[in-house]
Amino acid sequence: MKKKATAFDYALVVIFILISIIMIVPIYKVLIDSLDLKTAYGMKLFPERFGMAGYVSVFTNPTLYKPFLVSCLTTVVGTITGLTIATLGAYVLIQWKMPGRTLFANLMLFTMIFSGGMIPTYLVMKTLHLTNTLLVVILMPAINVYNMVLMRNFFEGIPDSLFESAEIDGCSPMGIFLKIVLPLSKAALTAIGLMYAVSYWNDYTHYKLYITNDNLYNFQMKLRSVIMGSDLPHAIGGATENTVKNAAVIVAILPFMIIYPFCQKYFIQGVNIGAVKE
Amino acid sequence: MRVKKMLAAGMAMTMAASMVLSGCSSGSKTSGSAANAESSTATGETAGKNDIKKPEKITIMVNGTVTTKPNNREAFEKKWEALTGIDLEIIQPDHDAYFDVLGQTFASGPENWPDLIILNGSYYTGYAEEGALWDMTDAWNNSELKASGRVTGEEVIDNTKINGKLFGFPVARRGGCLTYVKKAWLDRCELKAPETYDEYLNMLKAFTEGDPDGNGINGDTYGVSAAGFVGQGDPSSNYLPEFYQDAKPNFEKGEDGLWYDGFTKDNFKGALTRLRDAYAAGYIDKETLTNGTKDCRNKFYEDKFGVFTYWAGTWASNLKNNLEANGKDGELVPLKPIKEIGAYEEGTAPVWAITSSCENPEGVFKYFIETMLDGGDTQLLWSYGVEDVHWSKKAETILDNTYAEGQFHTKESLEQPGTQYTKQHLDPMLSIVKWDEDPGKDTVKEEAKVSQELFNKNCRQASIIPSTDVMATYNGDLTTLKNSIVADVVVQGISIEEAYARFEKEGGAEWSKKIVDSLNEQESAK
Amino acid sequence: MNTKKKGPAAVAAGNQKRPLLVSLRYYKGFYLMFLPVLIFAIVFHYLPMFGVRYAFYTYKGIKEPVFVGLQHFEKMMKMSGFWNAFGNTITLSVIKLLLNTFMAVVLSLMLNELRSATFKKVTQTIVYLPHFMSWVVTASVFTLILSPSDAGLINALMVKFGIVKEGIYFLGDKNWWRPMFYIINVWKDTGWGTIIFIATLSGINPELYEAASMDGAGRLNKLRFITMPALSNTIITVLILNLAKVMNLFESVFVMQNDAVTQKSDVLHTYIYTQTFNSGALPDYGYTTAVGLTASLVGCALVLICNKASQKVRGRGIV
Repeated sequence: MKKKATAFDYALVVIFILISIIMIVPIYKVLIDSLDLKTAYGMKLFPERFGMAGYVSVFTNPTLYKPFLVSCLTTVVGTITGLTIATLGAYVLIQWKMPGRTLFANLMLFTMIFSGGMIPTYLVMKTLHLTNTLLVVILMPAINVYNMVLMRNFFEGIPDSLFESAEIDGCSPMGIFLKIVLPLSKAALTAIGLMYAVSYWNDYTHYKLYITNDNLYNFQMKLRSVIMGSDLPHAIGGATENTVKNAAVIVAILPFMIIYPFCQKYFIQGVNIGAVKE
Repeated sequence: MRVKKMLAAGMAMTMAASMVLSGCSSGSKTSGSAANAESSTATGETAGKNDIKKPEKITIMVNGTVTTKPNNREAFEKKWEALTGIDLEIIQPDHDAYFDVLGQTFASGPENWPDLIILNGSYYTGYAEEGALWDMTDAWNNSELKASGRVTGEEVIDNTKINGKLFGFPVARRGGCLTYVKKAWLDRCELKAPETYDEYLNMLKAFTEGDPDGNGINGDTYGVSAAGFVGQGDPSSNYLPEFYQDAKPNFEKGEDGLWYDGFTKDNFKGALTRLRDAYAAGYIDKETLTNGTKDCRNKFYEDKFGVFTYWAGTWASNLKNNLEANGKDGELVPLKPIKEIGAYEEGTAPVWAITSSCENPEGVFKYFIETMLDGGDTQLLWSYGVEDVHWSKKAETILDNTYAEGQFHTKESLEQPGTQYTKQHLDPMLSIVKWDEDPGKDTVKEEAKVSQELFNKNCRQASIIPSTDVMATYNGDLTTLKNSIVADVVVQGISIEEAYARFEKEGGAEWSKKIVDSLNEQESAK
Repeated sequence: MNTKKKGPAAVAAGNQKRPLLVSLRYYKGFYLMFLPVLIFAIVFHYLPMFGVRYAFYTYKGIKEPVFVGLQHFEKMMKMSGFWNAFGNTITLSVIKLLLNTFMAVVLSLMLNELRSATFKKVTQTIVYLPHFMSWVVTASVFTLILSPSDAGLINALMVKFGIVKEGIYFLGDKNWWRPMFYIINVWKDTGWGTIIFIATLSGINPELYEAASMDGAGRLNKLRFITMPALSNTIITVLILNLAKVMNLFESVFVMQNDAVTQKSDVLHTYIYTQTFNSGALPDYGYTTAVGLTASLVGCALVLICNKASQKVRGRGIV
C-alpha cells in the first residue's frame, strides 16, 4: 500500500496550500480587524493597535451566557431529533416494495419545493401554541428532506446480504435499523449530523419569526444584536464598533473549528463494510 | 389498527387546518373593563374632554427605541405605572423583527391587536389606509397639550397628517442629515466653508487633487462619499444633497397642490448631470454604489475623504470621537445648506398610533401620548429613564467623569457597559415641546447641540406620501428601474437622453403616470 | 454496484408479488416508523401550504382577503421586472449549482488522494471554514477585496503587475458582477460541499483499491472504475435535490447586488423583497405569494424532469 511520493503528490500539496491561502485570506481579514483597536478600512497583515477589547466586549455582555446555553441545547437536541427523523425516513424510503413508498417519497419531495409562506406558517404555529417555545425552533428544522434523501443514499450502500442474514436471525425492522443500519452509517451520520448541527447553530430566521421572549434567544440572535447594537459606536474598553463586530463573527465560527477535527476521524477511517460482509 | 391510528391523526390535522383557515383564535381583549366603563357613561350627554375615562390597562407593541429589557425595562414599566396608575403591558420584539411580528400580529385578527404601536414611513401610511388606525385628529385638536401652548413643533404634527387626518402622533422630530466638512482639511487647502454649489465643487476638487490630509501625497484622497446614489427607502437619507439640490427621485406635492414624480422633471436631469460629472472627475467615491453606511464612516475615520453628509445631533460627537480615536483631527464644520439647496430635508417622524380595535382610544391618547410630553415626571421618564437606574443626581464617578451631589447625569449603560446613556425614548434635542425643566440640558455635547440647532433652523419637512393601491402595484418595480437608471448615468456615463429613453421603454413612464394619477385622485376625493 | 437495491422484506419474500393486505401487515413496522416523519411534514409543511390560496386574493394582512382570481398572475406576466428576475434566477442558480458541485467533487477527489493524514485534516478544516461566515460578512469582506481603490487586494495586485491600468469596479459593473458572484459562491461553499462526497468516498471498500492495485491499475484507472461509479449516485442526488432549491436563491444575491447591476442580478426573491419593502405602500401578500407560487411550480417542474431523466438513465429516481 505504501508507495514513494511521486511528483503528483507534491503538486497536490502545493495546490492545496494555494487553495488554503485563498480560503483563509478573507477570514484572516476579519480576524485581524477583530484584534485591531484602530478602525481600518483597508487590508493589513497585522493589527496596527493590537488589543483583545473586541472579544472582551462580546463576552462581558451581561446577557450572553444564557443565549449560549440555549444555542447548545437546541443544537444538541435538534441534531438528535433531526437525525432521528432523517434516518427513520431514509430507512423507510429504501423499502422499495413497500406499498405507498412512492407516495411517501413524493410527499416528502413536495415539501422541498412548495411552502405556504411566512404568514400562514406563523399562524399555524400560533394555533398549535408553538410560538415562543423552544419546540418550534427545534422541531421545525428537524424535517429536512434534503438530508433525508442524502441519508437514504448512504443506506443504499449497505449490502443486501447483511439485511438477509439479519432477517434470517429473526430481527424486526426496528432491530435491523438499530443493530445494522445505524452502526454501519457512522460517516453518513457524522456528515448529516454536522449539517444539522450547523443549521441549528446558525439559525436566526426561526428565532426572529417565532420567538419574541428574549429569554429564549440563541447565541446568533444575541450576536446580531451585538453587531446591530454596535452600529452606534460604543467604545468598550477601547474597542471600536468594527472591532466588536468582527470579534463577534469569529466567536460564531469558533465552536465548529473546535468540533470539526473530532468529526473528521469518521470521514477518514470510513466504515469498512467489506470487513463485516461475509 | 395502524391505519386507523393514521386516519385519526390525519383527522386531527385536518381539524387543526380548518381552525387556521377560519382564523379562529382564542385571544381575548385586554382593556375590556375600560370599554364597559365607557358604555355606562355613554348615556351621559356630553362627550367633552373631561369625560375621558382613564384606561385600566394599555398594551403597547414597540421597537427597540423604547427602553429594552437588558436596559431594565421592568424598572421603566413600574415607574410609568406608578406615575399614571395604569397597568402597562409592553410587547417588544427584537429590533429588526419588529415589523414582521407586527404584521403577523395584525394578520392574526383584531382581537390580538395591541392598543398602541410605533410606526414609520410606508407602514404608517399603509396601516392608515387599511383602516387599522384610529383617527386622532379630534383628540389632538381638543387636547390639553395643544391648548397648553408648549408645542413648538406643530408643523411636524401637521406634516404627519394624511389627507388632513392625523392617524399617528410624532412625539419627537425625525431629525435629518447635514453636511460635515473636516476643518483641518479646509485649513490646509486654505478654503472657507462653501456657500454655493460652485464653491462646494471647488472644495471637492481641492480635496481630491490636492493634499488635504497633509501626508505629502497629492491625489490620494477624494471629496465626498455616500452609501448609494439614491437614499434607500427613507427620503430623508439623501446623502448627496448638494448634487440633488431641489430635485427629488420620488413623488412630491407641488405648489399647486398636485402630485408629480420628481424623477420626470427637468431639474432631476440637471442633478444627474452634476452627479455624473463629479463622479467622472473622481470627486465622489468610486465605490459609492457598493458602500454601506458603515463603510463610509470607516473611510471617513481613515481620512480617505473630507465631506460627509450624515445625521445631525449625537452623530456629530460620534464622528468627532471616532476620528480622534483614530489619531486624526476631529474638528468638523457643519455646513449651512448651500444656496442651491436652501434647506435640508427632515424626514417624516416615527409615530405612536392607536389601533382601531382599541376600546378607549380617547383615554389612551390622553393618558399615554399626552403624558409623554407633560413637561414633568413622565416626560423625564421617557427622556432619561428611571432615577438611579438610568440617571442620577448622587455624587459619584461614572467611567471617567466625576459628578457632584445634585448634579444631573446619566448612568453607565446596562446593555453596553463602558458607555453612558444619552437618552431613552425621547431625544430632548429633537423635542417638539418646550421643556424648560430638562435636567440634562447641560449634559449635551457642544458639537452635537451646534449641529442639531443648525439643522433645526435650516430644515423643511419632507412631504408624507400617502399610499394607494396603484402605488402598491407599481412602485416597487418603478423604484428598482429609477435606481438602475441613476446608476447607469452616474457610473457608466450613459447620456441623459438614453437613460430617459430606457425609462420610457421599460414602462417606468407609464407606471409613474399611473401612480401620480392615483395620488391626485385620492387627494381630490377627500 | 448499480443494480436495484432491495430491502429486507423483498429479500425474504423472494421476488413474487404478494396480496396488498399481506404486504401491509408485513410492513406495519415500517409504517409505524414513518409516522413521526409524516407528522412533522404535515405540521410544518402541509398545514401552512393552505396559504398559497392567497395567490388568488388581495391581502395586506389587516382587512379580510379579497378574491381577485388570476389578477396577480396577469400583472406578473406584464411586468418586465418579473421576467428579468425569472431569467436571472434560472441562469444564476443553475450555473452556480453546476460550478459548486463540480468544484466540490474535484476537491473531494483531490483530498482523497492526499497521503499525509495530518495535512489532509488541516486543509479539510480550512476549506470548510468559509461556510460559517454569514453572507452579510462575506459580502462586506469581498466588496473590500474586489474594491477598485488601492485598498482592494485584487486590483492593487493587478495594477502592480501592469495587467490593468486602473482598478476594475468588479461588483459595480454589469459585465463583471456575475463572474464575481460565481467565484464568491465557489469560495464559500465548495469546502462544505465536499463533506457529503468525502463521506461517500470513505464508504468505498478499500479492498477494491487493493485488488485494483494488484491488477496494476494506475491512479487514473482506479478513479475511473472504482471512485467515480461510487460517487456518481451521490452527485446526481445532490444535483437534483439542489435543483429543488434553485428558485429559492436570495441571500447571496441580496447582499451583493447594487443599483448598477439589477438587470443582471435581480432574482425572484429579491424581486419579492423589493415589492414588499420598496413600494411605499403596504405589501400585497397576494402578489408576492403568486410570484412565490410560480417559482415553486418551476422548481417542481425542474425536479420532476430531472427525476424522470434519472429514472431513464439509472433505472430509478432520487427518492
